[in-house]
Parts: sequence; C-alpha cells; structure tokens
Amino acid sequence: MSSQHRSPSAELGLLDATMIGMGAMIGAGIFVLTGLASEIAGPAAILVFALNGVVTAFTGLSYAELAASIPRSGGGYAFVREIFDDLASFLMGWMLWFAYMIAGALYALGFAPNFLELLHVYGVVPSPGQVGALAVPVVDAAVPPAFLLAFVAVLGLVALNAVSTAASGSVETIFTVVKVTILLVFVGFGVASPRFSGAEFQPLFTEGNGVTAILPAMGLTFIAFEGYDLITTVTEEVKNPRENIPKAIFFSLAATVVVYMAVVSVAIGTLGADGLAAAGEAGIAQAATSFMPTGLPVIQNGGALIVFGAVFSTLTALNAVVIASSRVAFSMGREGQLLPSFGQIHHRYGTPFVAILASAVVMLGSVALPTKSAGNMSSLFFLLSFIVVNVAVIRLRRERPDMNRPYEMPFYPAPPLIGIALNLVLAGVLVRYLIRVDPLALALSVAWILLGGAAYLGLNRLKRGPDRDRRTDVDADQVPEIDD
Amino acid sequence: MTEPMTGTLDVVIAGGGRVGFQTAELLANRDHDVTIIEQDEQVASDLTDEWMATVITGDATDPDIIAQAGLERTDVIAALTGQTGLNLAVCLAASELVPGIRTVARIENGTGESYTRFVDAVVFPERAGARVAANEIAGSDVQTLADVTGDLDVMIIRVADGAPAAGRDLSEVRFPAGTLIVSGEEGNRIARPDTTLTPGSRYLVAVEPDVVDEVLNLMRG
Repeated sequence: MSSQHRSPSAELGLLDATMIGMGAMIGAGIFVLTGLASEIAGPAAILVFALNGVVTAFTGLSYAELAASIPRSGGGYAFVREIFDDLASFLMGWMLWFAYMIAGALYALGFAPNFLELLHVYGVVPSPGQVGALAVPVVDAAVPPAFLLAFVAVLGLVALNAVSTAASGSVETIFTVVKVTILLVFVGFGVASPRFSGAEFQPLFTEGNGVTAILPAMGLTFIAFEGYDLITTVTEEVKNPRENIPKAIFFSLAATVVVYMAVVSVAIGTLGADGLAAAGEAGIAQAATSFMPTGLPVIQNGGALIVFGAVFSTLTALNAVVIASSRVAFSMGREGQLLPSFGQIHHRYGTPFVAILASAVVMLGSVALPTKSAGNMSSLFFLLSFIVVNVAVIRLRRERPDMNRPYEMPFYPAPPLIGIALNLVLAGVLVRYLIRVDPLALALSVAWILLGGAAYLGLNRLKRGPDRDRRTDVDADQVPEIDD
Repeated sequence: MTEPMTGTLDVVIAGGGRVGFQTAELLANRDHDVTIIEQDEQVASDLTDEWMATVITGDATDPDIIAQAGLERTDVIAALTGQTGLNLAVCLAASELVPGIRTVARIENGTGESYTRFVDAVVFPERAGARVAANEIAGSDVQTLADVTGDLDVMIIRVADGAPAAGRDLSEVRFPAGTLIVSGEEGNRIARPDTTLTPGSRYLVAVEPDVVDEVLNLMRG
C-alpha cells in the first residue's frame, strides 16, 4: 500500500493487470517444480499442470467477485477480514502469511541450483552435483553451497525491500515479458529439436504410480498457480476494475496454463520424464542445455539463456513474495490482529519494516527445508486459504444479499462449491502424502497453526488489558475525541 | 469505539449522496474502511464504480439492511442523508443495536445542536459550505482550516505515543513527497529540521490526499 503512494503510479490497464497476474504465476513454479512433478507423476506431469489450472479457475471466480465488490487492496486476507469474525480472519491471515513466506523459501531454494547451473554452463564451477560442501569455519560445519546461496538471496532481497519502496508495477510488466519470452524461446527451439520429434510420452502414467500419482503431484505444484491474488492487491490502481479485474484474472490464468503445458511438454519430450526428475529443481535448465544451439556470440551457449531465465524468474518471484508476505503481516498489524508495530511504516525508509523483518526470519529459517517440503507446505497453505476465500463468497452472498456486486460469477453457487470440494480433495491428498513421505513438513505446518492459536490468545489478552482502561475513559467524557 | 488507537476505523455511512460521497472519499484516503448504505439504485451503482467503499443498496432504517453493514464490528456510524429525522432514526437504531458505537448525524439547521443528547456529534454541511463561500467572497488572506482550496488536506495531527515518528526530530523522519509539517509544537513556531515530534503534541500539517494515510501512519501509528 505504502509503496504505491510514495510514487503515485499511472493507472493500470487490462494488459498491465494481466501481466501482474502472469508475472506472479509464471515464475519460479514452472522452473523449480517441473522436475519434482515428473518425479512423482512421470509424463503425466503435463496433465498435472493443466488440471491445477482448472481447479484454481473456480477460486479465481470467487476472487474476481470479491475483488470487484470489496474495495480493499489487501488481497485474500482483506476480503476475509471483511466477512468473518476475528478468529477466522486471523487464521486466514496467519495461513496466507505463512504460505507466502514458505513460497519465498521455495523460490530461494529454486534459485540456488539454477544459479550454480548458470555458473556451470560458463565453466566457473563444476556441475552442480559435483560441487562439494563449503566448510564454514565459524560454525565448524560443512554447509552445502546451494543452501548458502538461497540464504544470501533471501537476505539480499529482504534488505532491499526493507530500506526501499522502489519496486513498482511498470517494472513488473517488463519482468513478465522477459520471462515469457525466454520460455517461448525454450518452447520454440525445443519443438524444433530432433530430440523432441522422437519424444516418448507413452506410457503417460508410469507403472506402479498410475493415475493416483497425479493428485500428490497436483498438490505439490499447486503453488505454481498462486499469483492472481497479487492482481487483487492492486485493484485500486486498475482502470474500470468492475470489468478489468475479472478479465485480468481469467486471461492471466488461461495464458499461464497454455505456457505451462507447452513448457512441460517440451521438457518431457526432450529430456524424458526420468531425466527431468533426476535434474530436480534445475529440470528446465538442464533440458534446455541439451538442445539449445551452442557457439552463439556473447552468451556462447544457447542453454545459458534459459538458465538465466530460471535464475531471473526465481529471483523476481522471491522479490514478489517478500513484498506479498510483508503486506499480509502489515494488514494484520493495521487491523490489530498482530502487534501494532507490524502495521507501522518505518520513519525513515517508509517501508513496513517490522513486517518485512518478521517475514524474513521465517523465510531464512525455512531455507533449511528440502525444496519439496517447502513446495508441499506452501501449496497446502494456499489450498487452505483458497477454501476460506470460496466460503467467504458464499457467506457474503447469504449475509449481505443487497451489497452491490459489480461482477457476479455465473452459475452461483456451483463454482465456489466445486472450488471448495476440489481444494479440499487436493489438501486431503497432500496431507495423506505428507503423512507417508514427509512427516516433518506436516509437523511444521501443524506447529505453525498452533503457534497462531497461541499468538491469537496472547494478543487478545494483551489488548484487553489496556483497552478496558481506555473504554472507561471514553465513557467518562461521553464524546471521545478524534484526533485525526 | 472498540480500539481508537489503531489505524483503521470501520465506518458505516448512511446516505451516499453528495455529502456522504465526499465524506467516504476523505475517509478512504485516510485508510479507513467505509461501507455506504444507499437507497437509490443508480446512485449506489455509481458509488460502486468509484471503488472506495463497500456499497449496500437499501433503506438504512431497515434492520435487515443495517445488519448487512456488519454493525457489531463498526466503530462509527454517520447518517448523512438530507433528512434530519431519518438521520436521527438511523443513529438511534444503531446505538440500540450496538451500545458502544459512535454516532454522527447530519442536521438541516443550526438549532440542531441540541440533538447531541441523542447522538455523539452533529454535522451541518450547509454551514461549513457557507463559511467557504463567505471566505471566497470576502477574498480574505486568512482562511480557516476547513476551507483549503484544491485537494490539499490541512490537518491538525496529534502525535501518538509509540507512533513511528514519535519523539523524533523532523530531520530524522522521511515523510513522503507531498507532506509539509507547518507548525512546531504548541503551534507558535514554524517547524524546523530540529523540531521534535513530541508525543501528545499537535502539529499543523499540509498533506496531499494521496499520502494522507502514510503521514497518519507515521504520526499516529
């Protein structure tokens, strides 16, 4: 909020708003998670991304209706705060905040191996698998360089955002164009390469896993469609929001699905699902180096362009979630749902300083997680918060039938009900998968919710103390004074 | 008044005509959450397009409609329609439903001050408008606070305890462009870089509407 006021930006048109949504979605997810998704689902990873697009479209309808009728630039938390009581809206904010912070860790973890790959392409370091652990004399332990890189990336972007409010919408459009262009180059060369023409997509479903492997893979990659939330945080600046916000949400979603499917098809077609799975977080980058032309001027190896795209995308996405997570914490502070200092801007830097620092602490801690755990946790919390958003639409329709809704979703109440059902199924599958494969991630998720409950109770106790005194003051002189 | 010190107030405005609209715009600029209840469908639809307040179409005296505005979480209700009787009815109904709520009613003539027995405050927009007109006609160099030309907001802001800028010198605080701290503490001195923003003191501040929320955040927390 504050950053937009510091340098009042031009009005955003439909294209800008669509670009913001696409920029937030097409970023790290596709580069980081494609390899991990094909590890779980094999060649069916193509289906995984398509189906996730369909699932998230239902929640997209709910977002469109809420964003057009509730004039708050706060995204999901602001809508739920308008409709639900204290505890429910607190939990929504708490979950969304966590989802963004873990997404930050995920993008940082995706950035590191891709950055090493970029250095590797130019022969600065040996191939990622062969880089040994760095000895850190201070703690007297070996720290893998990827972890160190991820840590430094978070630290750098947090510092940047803590002291400057320079990031703005117009830069975002340029970022998006760069990212999409690089991906289109990847698809173009990939389809033309001889490796792709002999591609094997059969069997689509790998043996032993079958169709059931799709659902956990969908859970893991759901976060790749997190992003249109960001469109609703800038509604204030969008021209004619009644028409443009719903359109921007759907256009960005549709374009993203198309780009994802093209990219995943090419990656699987050229590197094969197994090769892709082996490459993990650097899957797309390794696929690119396998078919892009070499011996080009300046960049030498064409694959370097794609690897650069991965580095660039993960960094810009990390930047976006640093801003998004601190914005949720800031809004909660403003609403008195976190300590008031979270809702204050710094006297010199003009940034939500405390909110950014608090987010940074969790992000830096989460960098120690395995990439897959970060993806799972972040996806889980986005799924849960999307369920709440869908419930919010239904509740608002029932409780406030006479509220003006410039955009009403078609076929109500089917879309939010389907949205709730599908998100619940994915969340359930994800939880079951976590119990089996990744109990640490599940334990941390539960711990975060419990911590939230404790924080909520503590804050309420803290607030009630001085508040009671103040209330008697107000009663004493009948008419409370408003100072602003 | 649930929590007067936190930044955002939840405000319900009954009547989205010219007075209600302008009021909502000022409040939204200050980062408060505004809900407008407006009976006329066309007016309500135009208000919605402005995208600054949640809009409910209906009669503000209808309990069903009032319930939809979420009164139990509202800090202030302002009845700003052109009819004094209706405004009083809305305020009285609101105090009945939510005893602690602050009520503000628009009145039609100067004798309405006695209504403060029933509501917390009354506003008389015609008189405020007349003061502006009189100042313009007289061409005076001195204008009262409410009569600033153009979009500038001139406000007296009391620095709150624990606000980001509290206790700091002006040179330490970076206000957004479009802010001018005019007076020092006590209002008898023009502010200088070494002027301290003492908690509890009031300062005269000129602000462009875009950055009012940020300035309030810095000075009020």
